[in-house]
Amino acid sequence: MFASLQKRGSDLNSLKFNLAKLRYRPNIILSILFLVVFSFLVIAPLLQIIYTSLTYQSNDLRLVRDATVGDFTLYHYFRVFTGRLSRALFYKPFVNSLVVGFGVTTMAMVLGTLLAWVIVRTDVPLKRFFGAVMVIPYMMPSWVIALAWLTIFQNGRVGGTPGMLTSMFGIIPPDWVSYGLFPIVICLGLHYYSYSFLLVSGALWTIDSQLEEAGAIAGLTKPAVLRKITFPIVIPALGSAFVLTFTRSMGTFGTPALLGLPVRFFTVPTQIFASISARNFGDGFVLALVLVVMAAVAIFINSKIIGSRKSFVTMKGKGFTSKPNRLGVWRYPIAGLILLFLLMAVALPVIILAWSTLMLLPGDYSLSNMTNHFWFGGSDFMIASGQEGIFRNPGIWGGVWNSVRLGISAAVINGFLGLLIGYTVVRTRGSKLSKSLEGMSFAPYVFPSIALGAIYLGMFAKPIGPIPALYGTFALLVLIVVVKNMPFSSRSGISAILQIDPSLEDAARIQGVPWFKGFRKVIFPLATSGFIAGMLLTFITAMRELSLLILLVTPKTRVLTTIIFAYQDQDQTQHANGVTLILLFIIVIANVLVSRFYGTKSVFGLSNT
Amino acid sequence: MMDNRFTRLALLVVLVIASMLLLAACATPAAPAAPDDAAAEEAPAAPADAAAEEVVSSEYPEEMDAWLKEAKLGPYEESPQNWEEIEQAAKEEGAVVVYSASSRIAKVADAFMAVYPEIEVEYFDLGSVQTVEKTVLEQDAGLYNVDIVTTGGSGQVIHELVGNDRIVNFVPDTVADEIPIDLKDPLLVRINEAIVFLYNTETYDAPPISNVWELTTPEWKGKVVIKTPLESLSNLMGVSTLVQHADEMAAAYERFAGEPIELSEGVPDAGYEFLYRLLKNDLVILKSGSKVAEAAGLAGQEAPPIGITSFTYIRYNDSKDFVNGVIADLDPVQALIYPTYTSIARQAPHPNAAKLFTAFLLADPAIDADTVIEPPYNEGESAELLQGLAPYFEPGSQSPRMDVPLPRGGELWSQLESWTVDPDFMWFESPKVRDFWIQEAGN
Repeated sequence: MFASLQKRGSDLNSLKFNLAKLRYRPNIILSILFLVVFSFLVIAPLLQIIYTSLTYQSNDLRLVRDATVGDFTLYHYFRVFTGRLSRALFYKPFVNSLVVGFGVTTMAMVLGTLLAWVIVRTDVPLKRFFGAVMVIPYMMPSWVIALAWLTIFQNGRVGGTPGMLTSMFGIIPPDWVSYGLFPIVICLGLHYYSYSFLLVSGALWTIDSQLEEAGAIAGLTKPAVLRKITFPIVIPALGSAFVLTFTRSMGTFGTPALLGLPVRFFTVPTQIFASISARNFGDGFVLALVLVVMAAVAIFINSKIIGSRKSFVTMKGKGFTSKPNRLGVWRYPIAGLILLFLLMAVALPVIILAWSTLMLLPGDYSLSNMTNHFWFGGSDFMIASGQEGIFRNPGIWGGVWNSVRLGISAAVINGFLGLLIGYTVVRTRGSKLSKSLEGMSFAPYVFPSIALGAIYLGMFAKPIGPIPALYGTFALLVLIVVVKNMPFSSRSGISAILQIDPSLEDAARIQGVPWFKGFRKVIFPLATSGFIAGMLLTFITAMRELSLLILLVTPKTRVLTTIIFAYQDQDQTQHANGVTLILLFIIVIANVLVSRFYGTKSVFGLSNT
Repeated sequence: MMDNRFTRLALLVVLVIASMLLLAACATPAAPAAPDDAAAEEAPAAPADAAAEEVVSSEYPEEMDAWLKEAKLGPYEESPQNWEEIEQAAKEEGAVVVYSASSRIAKVADAFMAVYPEIEVEYFDLGSVQTVEKTVLEQDAGLYNVDIVTTGGSGQVIHELVGNDRIVNFVPDTVADEIPIDLKDPLLVRINEAIVFLYNTETYDAPPISNVWELTTPEWKGKVVIKTPLESLSNLMGVSTLVQHADEMAAAYERFAGEPIELSEGVPDAGYEFLYRLLKNDLVILKSGSKVAEAAGLAGQEAPPIGITSFTYIRYNDSKDFVNGVIADLDPVQALIYPTYTSIARQAPHPNAAKLFTAFLLADPAIDADTVIEPPYNEGESAELLQGLAPYFEPGSQSPRMDVPLPRGGELWSQLESWTVDPDFMWFESPKVRDFWIQEAGN
């Protein structure tokens, strides 16, 4: 009797001990919590996609008249993978997507990494300026660069206004320069290099130059220091950049649609979009699943590479110095090259965009064709169907407010969640939980946005348990943007936490500091640079999101991108481009403000260096 | 990603949890599984073969029937309609929610609110695909938010929306007599538009072709521009309508070539053969209709292509530097007419405001064939007369009312030989046309 009581006492004690342990190391609880939430927000839509692809939809009755809606069928799989159509619908576009994916990833990573290294780790002049301007291509919708490309390189194939190259110099570019694979890779490369740039520069910021000096003292040449010391430290960031750039460029729609269509260069996303446009969700979702599998493969390869190495801890709470590498005579030529690059990738598209909003007739660059009507004009029914100028248009200002609100909410929520997920994944690294969580947090990236939007509309149209019907509310917009951006914020959370030595936390724990306080006082400050960068990126992405939101917005929750879409749809190019400029302006302002407040800690700022 | 048994087990557990959550969530969009409350039960219960069944069934779900009675719609419609009562009730309802495929609906909303300040218009411009999608998804989830659904896409609107009682036809009797039967039954059309063949009137003194088959000859290789029918319902309707009239296409070929057409291998008829040869002739496919209009019609081009797109792009001749003309003497067809419908959504919360809005879309009943309507159409007396038609009153479109004159510059409409889009053909055959296009354009 007494013994059993004693035993119960010790059981209780061990339970208490375990609880106490959890208080200091809540990794497990966090992982399980995240897994459950993600199951609902990510896996449920995924299952829905799989279910849809395996059943007859009402649209299929048009081709298969004796089918019953909801019956199990492999019809869509046969159509996409083995049928008469498969070559045109899947195989050719798939090969094109792979080529685009690898081409863009190669270009973007080489460009982004080189630029990040030069700007963070060398004494190149104008660092602050470069750092601030370098991320602008990411802020622009990717089709802006494609638009600029066409403005310059368009040849006679599509008729209409010839490109500048033809009209000014009489040079007619061949089709492969004007349309198809080549310009798609260039334009997307110029857009997506920002991933590598941001992630790698974030990692480079944390490198103690004593490490490099140690290498130099040990007799390594400069390239050898780069190869043997710097490069391995940025490997996790490079891995993340690879995964993001590859899956994103495989999944992108706008640029291939604009540049590929005239020469019939189709990719998987353009086929998905076409299928969903025709409400053929079965075909669309089978194709979407291909992208999901591709992304899973990319993550697998990444985790194999990173997982087999030790993670590189660079923040040890010991002395830290950062001394730039000297470029010597190359300082100015390199700065010149960067300037030239920025001129092409940043200035030119923006100028073309701005100029187009001042043209009464699109494509006519003469001075007599210039007007400020689209910015300041009143309603004139001869122009733009009577739309007021942008600054007089209350609808646009409502959109500005909604976009900003959405961007900030998503950024804050994503920032914190990303860091927590990063922490959980890294500190339980090697466990199955860690792997599942990492994989799952990545899944939303590969959902075609339009499909995710449609599924969320259905999921949240009615109350689910304690969750009220979110459809029509602003909260739903925030939720879906948070989910869609989770891959990025968790990636940046992971790479931020990877670099922090667990001994720092242990030190806090030994002193009896509860986990949350330790997290707040130790981990959070050290991870700030990654954290702020992640938030800013979420803000930018949220501000640019279109296909995700188009089904979910209401007149009161209209955002700038849906306004741009409406203008483009109505061929009101000047209004569309003007609102795009406003969008860009807000993002740049946010960027400047953040770097003001966070100085060197922000990867964008690069001030005080 | 998963490399051993344990991981697979973990994944399985997660999937089980997820599927339980999914079941709890239940109301998933495309899932035709019966939703759990009575309200929505009827929607999917509408027979799966509804498509084959004909429009407006006589038996409505109980809830809908009660609403029809209350709203005086469908079988309970009054004759004559009491417009004073409708207006009064509409003002009490105080709002109307519109799903539209066109962004010009914003202008209609402004004009409507200027006339009826008591009624707030909430409009959603969604494009044709999403207008249908949003209506279906919401109704499947038991949500009845929308009052007016106005969109094109004949096959889907007639078979999926009307056929499943998702929308109700309402024709204001103030103008009903002036609307031909096929434009008000089974569903009211509020505007007709057409796909036409555009040519550059500056480069070519006269239309450069007189038979559509000329476009398949080497002379026009790479010189025909079209907006992709895969993402544009109006263009898919146009292309499908050409295929539907395979016999006329075959006859036109014989008039052109002097001999019967020889079909290529695997091509079923002359309609498809035309698409096949057009695509093989390096047809240029673009994303937007205005780009097609620009390609064909921008002034100062040496060898501009022929553009296949909407008649309404002719309006850019005034505001942009375009010189497009419609090829008016073309064998066998010159215009492929596609309608934009307007309807009242099932269990609309503001049925009277919806009736008032429908009438507003069709313009003032006071207009007759002799009324002279002067541009600009969006202001002054013209705007007052045209009401909700004003933003759409432009060359290349036609009101369903026979007593509304054609807009200035669009008089050609009445002279064009045309084929009208057939909802049945669109619903059952256009997916095949689409597949054919995917296959031939992609290889």
